[in-house]
Amino acid sequence: MDEKTTLEMIAPTVEEAIERGLDQLGLPRDAVDIEVMDSGNKGLFGLGGRQARVRLTLLPYGIHDSNKKETTTVPELKPIKQEPVITAPTKVDYNDPVLDLVSNVVRELLEKMKVNATVSASYQTNKEIEGEEKFILVDIQGQDLSILIGKRSETLNALQYITSLILNKELGRWQPIIIDVQGYRNRRERQLRQMARRMADQALQSGRRQVLEPMPANERRYIHLELRDHPDVITESTGEEPNRKVTISKRSNN
Amino acid sequence: MKDLVEYIACSLVENPKQVRVNQERVGGRIQISLQVARDDMGRIIGKSGRVANAMRVLLRVAAARENKQASLDVIEPR
Repeated sequence: MDEKTTLEMIAPTVEEAIERGLDQLGLPRDAVDIEVMDSGNKGLFGLGGRQARVRLTLLPYGIHDSNKKETTTVPELKPIKQEPVITAPTKVDYNDPVLDLVSNVVRELLEKMKVNATVSASYQTNKEIEGEEKFILVDIQGQDLSILIGKRSETLNALQYITSLILNKELGRWQPIIIDVQGYRNRRERQLRQMARRMADQALQSGRRQVLEPMPANERRYIHLELRDHPDVITESTGEEPNRKVTISKRSNN
Repeated sequence: MKDLVEYIACSLVENPKQVRVNQERVGGRIQISLQVARDDMGRIIGKSGRVANAMRVLLRVAAARENKQASLDVIEPR
């Protein structure tokens, strides 16, 4: 990799901007020099805030500069696990024909939807699943892209579905992809996992079954994953798509 | 908007030459109708209409960009 490479990332918080940048580069934190250019402004309830901006510069291989460690702390509701969220990027592939193909499909769709954004794609590995599942992450960056997420991430999922159909037809084989906008999926995953914990506590305290709001399959999965090793609760999905919901209830001991 | 539907349809069917997309204004709405070869109907509609519905979601975004409303009908081939 070129050692002069720099990457600027913009995200709601400094922490997220760094995370996204590292994700995109596929590098651990100590392999880059992190410069906070704008720590952003949260605004009221996340409204009217300014986005944080960081610049990541690749360090030559093997040099870890501990003095440049990120010191900004981001208040989190309740830190649950500090392990990396889902993905362990393997490598950044340039000029891979499949990545080019999928990026072009997404670009074409966005252009025809009159949405202005930049698209990049990379291979990722999902560590949480046994056997390691390799998938393509298509990342969309730009201004005012909430329209691409939609209610209950409906638009994002539609875009992902159509793109994967086109890609699979083109390739003649099944290639898993995930489309993300402005780090939404990671953010949402963290939210869902926190909510899972909270609802599990509530289920135990009240003794009553907790029914979550309807969610698409990929989001329900995070709830199940987060609580699958929980000793005292069980999770279950009930109802029919698109109103399928996760329920969390106390594990009966018998 | 028409070109969005056209692009998706042509990318998914086996017979792109038989894809016909029509765009009409009815009152304040835009009606888009899509016709494909009989063999391709399944590819365009999908299980429980999943493909067609995903196209409608994307079409809604495209329409919203122009402050319009649009609908998509898949028409049975003659």
